[in-house]
Amino acid sequence: MGEGTIQIKDLVKVYKDGFTAVNGISLKVDKGECYAFLGPNGAGKSTAVKILTTLSEPTSGIVQVGGFDVKTDPDKVRWEIGVVLQETGLDKELTGREILEYQARLFHMTRRMAKERATHLLEMVGLENEGKRQIKKYSGGMRRRLDLAVTLVHEPAILFLDEPTTGLDPLNRKAMWNEIRRLNKEEGVTVFLTTQYLEEADQLADYISIINEGKIVASGPPEELKESVGADLITFEFKNKEEAGKAAWLLGKSSKADYQKGKIVTVSIQEADRHVVQLLGALSREQIEVARLDVTSPTLDDVFIRVTAEEEKE
Amino acid sequence: MNLVQAFMIHTWILTKRSLIVLIRNPFTFIPNLFISLFFLLVYTGGLSGIAQLPQFEGADYLSFILPVSIVSAAVGGAGGAGQSLVRDLESGYFARLLQTPVTRLAIVLGPTIAGMLQLIVQTLIILGVAFLLGLKVEAGPGGVLVILLLTVGWGLAFAGYSVAIALKTKNAQAAQAGTLIFFPLIFLSTTFVPLELIEAQWLRAAAIINPTTYLFESMRAVLIDGWVMGPIISGFAVIGAVCAVTVAFSVRSATRAFKRE
Repeated sequence: MGEGTIQIKDLVKVYKDGFTAVNGISLKVDKGECYAFLGPNGAGKSTAVKILTTLSEPTSGIVQVGGFDVKTDPDKVRWEIGVVLQETGLDKELTGREILEYQARLFHMTRRMAKERATHLLEMVGLENEGKRQIKKYSGGMRRRLDLAVTLVHEPAILFLDEPTTGLDPLNRKAMWNEIRRLNKEEGVTVFLTTQYLEEADQLADYISIINEGKIVASGPPEELKESVGADLITFEFKNKEEAGKAAWLLGKSSKADYQKGKIVTVSIQEADRHVVQLLGALSREQIEVARLDVTSPTLDDVFIRVTAEEEKE
Repeated sequence: MNLVQAFMIHTWILTKRSLIVLIRNPFTFIPNLFISLFFLLVYTGGLSGIAQLPQFEGADYLSFILPVSIVSAAVGGAGGAGQSLVRDLESGYFARLLQTPVTRLAIVLGPTIAGMLQLIVQTLIILGVAFLLGLKVEAGPGGVLVILLLTVGWGLAFAGYSVAIALKTKNAQAAQAGTLIFFPLIFLSTTFVPLELIEAQWLRAAAIINPTTYLFESMRAVLIDGWVMGPIISGFAVIGAVCAVTVAFSVRSATRAFKRE
């Protein structure tokens, strides 16, 4: 019952100094889903994660993680979750193997089970040859990988990742994404992640909520969010202005929103990839030669900029 | 697994971890031990002449100064418990532990027990050196045990204090500065001469209210006079009272640190 799920209803968090970090959030995450909180610094993402992971208490609202209430059953929640915070949580004097074995023992595994688990996890994150070295000698990327391994010791059903790739170089970022994807898709772990990077949310998440000033301002699957911003954009370039003028007139018949500037004609249209062939056909029938063609979909950046701008207007 | 079993395992794992970290960083305890042994050698060598004074009642100065050396070494060991918690707070390992079902008490107890074990080893080394210098314990092997128990009690009191400061300030410098209290505690006392030989009234008054004085006196009792119960009992009583205060203080800070915002 409730295993691998998250449910939040009307969550509010007001800090002692009166600052409202989370201002009425409700959401539901199903088992095996990858859910992303996307928002700028100070939007309330980390506060929400702290509450979900039992480090902080909600001011009001109901928060259930893995079927247990974080307020009344924090210890039961702790068995269900693994948490990767922005900063790694490693005792750097220990070796990679030691910290994994201790973590396993703290989760009540026998000494032998702890050893096996540590070996398995070191292999999984590609640190099998580094297990006997002290963590202070690890690189930043290695520490992140080990931190993830420590998080997975007790095979949690839900994995929380608070800005998991902030400060990582592109190579390590890709590796982290692959690992998160594998855990989510192959092992069925529910993933809840926060990020400032639209690309990250787009790459990983099944469902995205954009959070700003403690509130969810837009949410949906990545594709749907992108569509909500508007249509795709097709950009044609022609040999000269005259050709472009003819083309603009022609394209204008089949699509409403078009625009000409010098040799360039842009067409705004829903599902451009389906219409582009048809438009090219129309042009070639009139012997108009296309010099260059470009189709772009709106990115999550566009969504993000639009919803946050709308918020500010209000 | 029941709660008691879980608590025992958690405490054992976290104690083991603290010990490993300690052994890997010998320079966290070697300087302190060195200073204490230095005290012992220099003061015994340089000041032993004053033991001729009648107020010393024929005691050997080595026996008189030995408790000072033991107690100052103990401060270092006990202070380590607080330092290690600050290190965990800074590395994020503390937050990691809070997200596991580990018993909260074990998080504080692990480094504290490790600190006590360090302190016992240090005390045995100092006693070993003192025996090489010709120490005789009037109360016999039982007296050595009394000295160890008093040292652990004193260490626990100081560990409670250092843990409380660490969890309250969450700051390495503040925790370090907190150990400075060790100076008035050790030196505003019957550190070098008996109370009767302290001339300044203010220092005499300070020595009388300073709990360390009673610790020194009970250790000196077993070293010099044998089983004289008066000072021995008052030593344990004072240490017990100080322990109660600092441990309560650390429990309060810990409860606050563990309490979710």
